[in-house]
Amino acid sequence: MQEHIQLNQKEINDISLSPILETPKWWLPAVLITFGFIVTGLAAFFYMVYHGLGVTGLNRPVFWGFFIVNFVFWIGISHAGIMISAILRLTQAEWRRPITRAAEVLTVFSLMAALHTPLFHVGRPWRTYWVFPYDFSRGVWPNVRSPFVWDPSAVGTYLIASTLFVIICLLPDLAIIRDRTTGLRSKIYGILCLGWRGTPRQWKMQTIVGILLSALVLPVFVSVHSIVSWDFAVIAGVEGWHSTIFAPYFIIGAIHSGVSAVATFMVVMMWVWKGNDKILRPDHLDAIGRLLIIVATTWFLFLFLEVAFALFTLERPEIALRELQFFKWPFSGLFILFLLTSYFIPVPMWMFKNVRRSLPLMFISTILVNVGMWLERFLIIVPSLSRKTPFAFDWGSYTPSIVEILIVTETFAFVIFGLLLFSKFFPLIPLFDIKEGMVFRDEIKIGRRTVPASIRE
Amino acid sequence: MNPHVITAKSTLDKKSKINNTLLERHQRNGNYFWRIISLLAVFFILGIIGFVMKLNSGFNDKVIWGYYAAMFAFILTTAQAAPMVAIAPRLAKAHWRRPISRTAEIWSIVGLFNLILFIPILWVLPSLEDRRRSLWFWDAAPGFESVPVFSPHIWTTLALCSLVFIGIMLLWLSALPDLALIRDKGTGWQQKVAKKLSKNWIGTSKQWHWLYHRLGILGALYFAMMVFVHFLISIDFLLVLVPGWIDALLPITHAANALQAGVATMMLTMFCLRKFGGYKDYIGYDQVWGLGKLLFALSLLWFWFWFSSFNVFWYGKKPNELSVIDLLTTGPYLIIFIGVFLLNFVFPLFMMIWNPIRRSFWGPPLIAVGVIIGTFLDRIRLYVAAYSVPGIGDPNVSKHALPTHSLPTHLPEISDVFIMLGYISGSILVFMLATKIIPVINIWEQREVVMYEIHKKFHRTEVKILGKPD
Amino acid sequence: MKRSIIGLFLDENLAADALDDLRKAGYEMDEYEVLTGLPYPEGTFGEDEPKHKLYRWPLFGAVCGFIMGFMITAGTQVAYPLVTGGKPVLGVPPMAIIMYEGTMLGAIIFTIIGVVFESRLPRIFMGAYDTRITEGYIGVTVTTSEDKIEEAEKILKNIGAEDIKRGWE
Repeated sequence: MQEHIQLNQKEINDISLSPILETPKWWLPAVLITFGFIVTGLAAFFYMVYHGLGVTGLNRPVFWGFFIVNFVFWIGISHAGIMISAILRLTQAEWRRPITRAAEVLTVFSLMAALHTPLFHVGRPWRTYWVFPYDFSRGVWPNVRSPFVWDPSAVGTYLIASTLFVIICLLPDLAIIRDRTTGLRSKIYGILCLGWRGTPRQWKMQTIVGILLSALVLPVFVSVHSIVSWDFAVIAGVEGWHSTIFAPYFIIGAIHSGVSAVATFMVVMMWVWKGNDKILRPDHLDAIGRLLIIVATTWFLFLFLEVAFALFTLERPEIALRELQFFKWPFSGLFILFLLTSYFIPVPMWMFKNVRRSLPLMFISTILVNVGMWLERFLIIVPSLSRKTPFAFDWGSYTPSIVEILIVTETFAFVIFGLLLFSKFFPLIPLFDIKEGMVFRDEIKIGRRTVPASIRE
Repeated sequence: MNPHVITAKSTLDKKSKINNTLLERHQRNGNYFWRIISLLAVFFILGIIGFVMKLNSGFNDKVIWGYYAAMFAFILTTAQAAPMVAIAPRLAKAHWRRPISRTAEIWSIVGLFNLILFIPILWVLPSLEDRRRSLWFWDAAPGFESVPVFSPHIWTTLALCSLVFIGIMLLWLSALPDLALIRDKGTGWQQKVAKKLSKNWIGTSKQWHWLYHRLGILGALYFAMMVFVHFLISIDFLLVLVPGWIDALLPITHAANALQAGVATMMLTMFCLRKFGGYKDYIGYDQVWGLGKLLFALSLLWFWFWFSSFNVFWYGKKPNELSVIDLLTTGPYLIIFIGVFLLNFVFPLFMMIWNPIRRSFWGPPLIAVGVIIGTFLDRIRLYVAAYSVPGIGDPNVSKHALPTHSLPTHLPEISDVFIMLGYISGSILVFMLATKIIPVINIWEQREVVMYEIHKKFHRTEVKILGKPD
Repeated sequence: MKRSIIGLFLDENLAADALDDLRKAGYEMDEYEVLTGLPYPEGTFGEDEPKHKLYRWPLFGAVCGFIMGFMITAGTQVAYPLVTGGKPVLGVPPMAIIMYEGTMLGAIIFTIIGVVFESRLPRIFMGAYDTRITEGYIGVTVTTSEDKIEEAEKILKNIGAEDIKRGWE
């Protein structure tokens, strides 16, 4: 039985806008701390620019290290937003309402964070514009057959699409803030909401755009991580990368880590935001927990297939790589940690209803998943490169340097910083969606039983 | 907010109307029913003749069994996937599934037919002693010496049997309340059969609780088993036959294609029931819409999976990858492949984003027909090509690459045509006969929805209210 | 210059009655509007269904994006034909990927533009508006010539509007 608290529009406004209209005490310190991490990370980056990539742990043949691992990780997290909001919108799941915005915003900031590390990794980020077809005078164009040109096209499309998605769905909520504030703030929000009035035409467009953009962004979302996976999979020379399953495997892994991240974010929102418990309820965590069991198990199936087919080849280098990945220290330890944290600890936990409804336990289990998923990317990238490949004549190992660690920390700080700033100026809960849910809610009474129902047009 | 109070009395008329009309329709023979049955029976006999002709050539040469294997895979991917259309929306508590969930479950009976016809394929596949590369790693690594040499045969048969068993159990359970209805209100031989099958169903709340619970579990099991069967079939009876074909995605692609074709099968069945079966009042726009959305999504999935495999092969350009692309998309297979590509992806995509077709009663079923034909062609392309590769069973042939780049295409003989005809008509025959015993429209789920679907006035407009019990 | 007036209601039925009366009094469809703080089911107030052509926008955008993608891939590769990795200069799979992204980007950007346009935004002059609309009140606005505004006010008052405000369009 879903618990539900009926609120009127004013109450919803008051609860959801409280973080915007009154600043909590911890907000500024939190912003400053995360900003400090960002500055440290940027300092490390400038140090790296000055001294060259040699200050990282990257070497021959491990050309890709923490930076690329982190890139894939954040791209993965960014799949949460669209997964939650688009799929649940299209399937008209009622429980999506309070979490869509938070998930979409998480997408936007994690995508930006994802863009950091490859940009730093290329060594000369000021020449990134080379991937764009700009050179009309000399006639030198980017090579579109390289997966590294697909990446910016896909990630760029996804970033633009998800940002626009967030903005267009914000319009009615910005109008609410406009009406709740006075003076300059009201004017600014008035401009931002484009003069929203709430006519039937505007609401109709708002309803359609939720569905239409979901349907349009969903295929982009699938393409983004597929393309990221092809950065690896199209290379025939590196053992462990050249597998047809990579695209769906990366996608389902991304959903696994992304939905977990949304759950973590929800728990944090429920903790720090007083009064919010009337809108975000343990119910929602319960639903997301059940979804996670399915996602995690599907992901595990793909992991199994990936490994099974690697062994199926019966090719010696491939099998030797798996030996390195699974049985040689330190990868063996990381591998066990990866299995435990990404599947074998959280999934049995989520089987219990009490765990799915408990904030601390959901927090821990979903954080664990993301520890595991970070390790997964590490275990895909680093061991495969450490071995001698047909095109590199060295064997090697990899230890991240302090510079890399600081820059990776910077991306995490950046996402938190972004979310903190966003939550100060824009509502993290889609107010009109909640209100719609309250009005569309109905009940059917059969004998002694009350069945929750909702209006469908 | 005043809850809508539903009482037995307020819905009695509606419920008894559903009972009476559906029961009456179930017991009546349609105009053409027996004529179609006889026609299908004739085709099926043709199929048997084709099979006997094939037997003359024996089981040693697997090349000639390609079309037979393709037909097995085709029925596995269509009829045996159709029950998912009942299972997935039921788990998601979508009400639109109600009129078609039974139809979907009846298709699982065809699994029994397919299981029997699976036996010759077992005979064709040699044991692991030929040292081919397989997922069972027979003698490939220390510790794998004692794996049974008939592992693929044993496990696939077991999995297939379980799939069929679960499917039939699912059908029987979901039909229990309806069989009880026929036992109480029906006439003739159908009542006698229903009396045997309905056991002691009297509809206590304990029984209902048990039924719901079991339906959920069996549904989840059916899905898991279906994925497992596709996993085994696509590897042991397809991938392994081609040395050098390493496509980790294929098992999933095989299963996803099955979901797509299963939805298409249901769309077509539903269209026939509406158009020719006299269930116009029960099967409506909701069903076309619900299935259409699924079909659209799965068609996009088809492309994504295909491209994921193809792109990696195309870029990898290893000799074995090039030869696999060669094998599956050259010569006549290229024409077939283009057909599949159009029917399974291009047509569904462009027709479903076009509102006049998407919102019509004939559009989505037409796309479904295309998808079924496309799947049929795709199974032929994959299985006939794989079965035509020589060398399996020969320990001297390389495990890692195809013997030659271009292999002769195996065109269907007359016996193959007979077999294809017989296989498909046999499946439809089994389905149609089963509908005589079990009502093709779920009567109790129809009665149930009367409680949960209410039309009411909302200020100046009409809205539909859907209740979703937890 | 047109005058506008807004009447605020707390009850959906009263707002619907107001619309009925305005229609009866001979106001045109584009003269009165209902403003709400949430998307009600279509036709809740007996208002006319808004016509729109939103679905053409993404199609148009998709075509534009596709052409852009084609130019970026095929055009640049033909202009600078460098064979890499043994792939044909015009390889279909990589071209398909970038053209696909272009198509989707075009479709999405044009959808957004289309939504803003079809919502008749941005709106510079708010006309008669009340901040209580986003708090749950339902506003019925009439935007009309000066001579008809008095009658509109009377109608809104008769139905029982909680509050009435005037504004300029």
